[in-house]
Amino acid sequence: MTEHVTADAAARRRYDIVIVGAGWAGSALAQRLGDKGWQVLVLEAGNGDTDTWPGFLDTLSTFRSAVAKVPNSAYRPNAAAPSPNVLDLAPVRNPRPGEPEFTAGGYFVQNGPLPYGTDYLRALGGTAMHWLGAVPRMRDEDFETRTRYGYGRDWPIGAAELQPWYAEAERLLGAAGHGQEQYDLGVVHDSRYEYPMQEIPRSYIDRYCKEAVEGEVITDPVAERDYTLTLYGLPQARNSTPNPRYRTDPPFRVRGAVGLPNFGERCVGNASCVPICPVQAKSLPLRIQAAFPRSVTVANRCVVTRVRRSGERSVSGVEYRTYTDPASPVSRSYVVEADVVVLAAHAIENARLLLFSELANGSGQVGRNLMDHPTVLSWALGAESKGPVGPFRGPGHTSGWEVFRFGEGRRRRAPFRIEIGNWGWGWATGAPMSNVATALGIGGDEHGEVRPDGVFGPELRRLLGSSVGRQLQLQLAVEQPADPGNRVTLDGRHRDAMGNPRPVITYDLSEHVRDGALAARAVAGEIFRRMGADDFTNHAPRDGVPPLGHFVHKGTDLAYSGAGHGAGTHIMGSDPATSVVDADQKTHEFDNLYAVGCGSMASVGTSNPTLTMMALALRSAERIHDSLATARRPVVIRTPDTTEATA
Amino acid sequence: MADPAATADVQDFVKFCVPLTGFTAFDLYATDMAGAYLDTARRQVGPERFDTFWTAWKQAVTGGGGPQDLAPTHREVARALVYLWYTGAWPRLAPAAHADLRREQANTEFVVAPEAYVEGLVWRTFHGHPSGAKPPGFGTWGVRPPAPPEVEELRAGLGVRDVAYRTGLDAEVSPEDIPAHLLPGFRSGRHVPPSEVPVATVPGTIEEGRV
Repeated sequence: MTEHVTADAAARRRYDIVIVGAGWAGSALAQRLGDKGWQVLVLEAGNGDTDTWPGFLDTLSTFRSAVAKVPNSAYRPNAAAPSPNVLDLAPVRNPRPGEPEFTAGGYFVQNGPLPYGTDYLRALGGTAMHWLGAVPRMRDEDFETRTRYGYGRDWPIGAAELQPWYAEAERLLGAAGHGQEQYDLGVVHDSRYEYPMQEIPRSYIDRYCKEAVEGEVITDPVAERDYTLTLYGLPQARNSTPNPRYRTDPPFRVRGAVGLPNFGERCVGNASCVPICPVQAKSLPLRIQAAFPRSVTVANRCVVTRVRRSGERSVSGVEYRTYTDPASPVSRSYVVEADVVVLAAHAIENARLLLFSELANGSGQVGRNLMDHPTVLSWALGAESKGPVGPFRGPGHTSGWEVFRFGEGRRRRAPFRIEIGNWGWGWATGAPMSNVATALGIGGDEHGEVRPDGVFGPELRRLLGSSVGRQLQLQLAVEQPADPGNRVTLDGRHRDAMGNPRPVITYDLSEHVRDGALAARAVAGEIFRRMGADDFTNHAPRDGVPPLGHFVHKGTDLAYSGAGHGAGTHIMGSDPATSVVDADQKTHEFDNLYAVGCGSMASVGTSNPTLTMMALALRSAERIHDSLATARRPVVIRTPDTTEATA
Repeated sequence: MADPAATADVQDFVKFCVPLTGFTAFDLYATDMAGAYLDTARRQVGPERFDTFWTAWKQAVTGGGGPQDLAPTHREVARALVYLWYTGAWPRLAPAAHADLRREQANTEFVVAPEAYVEGLVWRTFHGHPSGAKPPGFGTWGVRPPAPPEVEELRAGLGVRDVAYRTGLDAEVSPEDIPAHLLPGFRSGRHVPPSEVPVATVPGTIEEGRV
C-alpha cells in the first residue's frame, strides 16, 4: 500500500518537483525522479479507495451493482473532483435540422455540433483504473501525417527517437506481446525485439475470424484501394507468462495485485478489464505507487486550482484545495512550492489548469486540438452452422486487422484500426442483458402495451445460446487529427461544486474523419458478408431518436462512440508560436513548467495512446532530472539511502 | 428437488420458476438468490398482486399450460421474474402493466445486489461466465465453446411438460433464423438500461454503411 499524507502535511515542505495527478504519467515520473533522489510531491485530486484490497473489493461491488456498466461505473462519484461520464450525454428526440442531436449534463459543458463522448477518472490511479490495457505502438508515418499525407500535424520527434522509450514503457507497464509480429507490422524497429511477457493468448473469436477471412482482399470504397486482411495480435499490459527470451539484465519480474500477495500474476479471463480487473492482472499505476521510494510523497484529495508564476520564465509551485466529504465539499486552500511543476492530470485537466492560471498560452493553442479515436461499432451474428463463437470471454480484444491504418489511403480518408471485439454486442446493444429482455419481450411495444411475442423456459435458454453465443462485434477506431477548432475553453459561469471552472468542450468531426468512419463501416460490412455473418448494424435514428454521435455522411447514417483517448490540448511542437510544449513536454514559455500526457501528442495515429504517453513521460523524466542536476551543480544529489539516514 | 433449509414459500417459488426459466431447481437454489428474488418480486409487484399472479401461474402449469395462458399483465410479471433470474436485475415493465399493477415504485431497472449480478443465469446459456466474476482461467478464451443444448434435451433434463414456452409466436424459434424483434438493437446511448434497449431491425432493410 502506498503511504499517503494529508494536505496539511504536504504543504509543510518544499519539494524539488510537484506533480499534479497520480495516473500513469504522474506515477511514472514520480517513480523515476524519486529514484534519482529528488524530493517529489504528487497531488491527486480524487480519492484513494482502491489502493487497499478491501477498498478495491468495494469498487468491484460497485461495478457489479451498476445497471449501466460504463467505464466509470466502478468508481464513486466525487463532487469535489468531478469526472466526466459517458452517461452525461443524452440524445434529442426529433432534433431540428442543423441543431445538435444531443444534450450534455454532468461535468463537461458541451457547445459543439457533435458530442465528445469520452470520459476520464479523477481518482488515485487516474483513468488507468478503467483502461483496457491495449499498448500498440505508433508507426513512423503516424508522426508525420502532414508531410506524408497532407493532413494533421507533424511531431518534432519521430518513432526512431521513441524506440528505446517505448521499450522502457513496455517494461514499466509490463507488456505482453509478439515482438516479431509487431516488427513485421512496422511499429517495432528492432527485428529481434522481445516483449517482457509472452503474448496474451488469442481468443477463439480471433481464430474464427482468421479462418473465415484471412487473406481476403477487401476494397475500401472511399480510399478506392484494395487491402488484404491479415490478423495481428494486440500487445497488452496484462500479465501472461514471463518471456524467457526477454533481456535478463535486469530481469523482468511479474507484479500482481496491490495489497494482496500472490494474486493477479496472470490474467484469469474475468472479461471485465474495462471498468475493472478483479484480480489486477491488468497493469495499474497502483503497482508503481506501491513501490515508490521514500523521496516520493503522495497526497490524495488535493485539487490543484492554479499554477503560481514567480518570474518571467518560471513558476513557483501550485495552489490546491483539500476536502473531507466528497459529497459536499467544504475546502481549505494551500500553497506548495517546488523547483519544477509537472502537470500530469489528463489532457483536458492540464488544459483547464493552464487556461485558468493564464500561463503558457502565447500560441493560443492551449485547449485546442482536442482529439479522440471516434469509434464506429459494427455487429453481426455468425452463421448458426459454424457454431458459437464464445463471446464475453477473455480480454476486451486480442487481435485486429491493421492494414487500414497505414499507407496512401490516408490521403483520402482518416485511417482506422479494426479491433475484433471479444465481448459480443455488449458495447453496441447492452448484450447479453438486453438479449434476455428482447427475447422475453419485456418493456412493452411502442404504445406501452404488453408485447405479445416472447419466449420462456427451455425455449428462451436455447434461443439465447445462439443469439448471444454467435455475437461478433468490430470496433473501428478512426484517427482524428489535430484540429484547432476542437477545443477546451473555460467560462466563469460554469463551475463545479468546489468553485473550479468546468471544461467547456467544442467538438466536431472533420470531413477527413467522417470519410474514415464511412470507409470503416463499409469495410466492416464487407468483412461480415465474407464471413457469412448476418450484419445487424444500424446507426439510423429509431422512432425519432438518433443514437449519440449520429451523423449522416454522403447519405449514410453513421454513429461513433468516444474511445476514452483524450489528447492534444497542449500540443507539442518546435515552434512556440504554434505549439504549447516542446519535445521534452516543457512549456515553451517557462523553464520549469511541464505539461505531460496525451495532451502533448501532435497526432494519435490509430494506436491506443497510453503507451506513447508513457514513452514520452519516461523521456521527460530524464530531461527533468538533467535540468535539475544541471541547475543544482555542484550540490551532491541526495539518494534515497541518505534521505532515509537523515530522516 | 427442494432445499429442506428453504422456507415453504421459497420452495414453492423455486419449483414453479423451473418451467419459467428453463433451469433446474438445483441450478436455481445454487444461486442462493431465491429468497432475495421472491422478496424483490413481492415488493415490486405488491404482495397481494404477486399472490394473484403466482396463483395464476401455478394453475397454468398444473393444468398443462404455459405462459400463453397468462393475462397480459401477468405475462409481463412472468417476464420480469425470468429477467431477474437471468440477470440479477429487476427490469422496466411495459407501462401498461406498470399502470395496471398500480405500482408505487419507479418503473426503472435496478440490480438487486452485487451477488445477484454474479449469479445471473444468462451467462450459462452460452457457456459463459459473468463479466468480472467466476473467471474460467488463463487462456480459456481461446477454446472453442460447445454448442448450446437443444430444447428437447433441456425439456427432458428439466422434467417439464411438452408445451409451448412462448407467446405470440406460432412455432419454436429456429436458431437458423432468429427474428430481429427478439434481438436487441443499437442503444441510443450508454444510459439506456438493458431492459429498455429497442429491438433490432432486420439486416439489410436500411441502406446503411453500404456505399
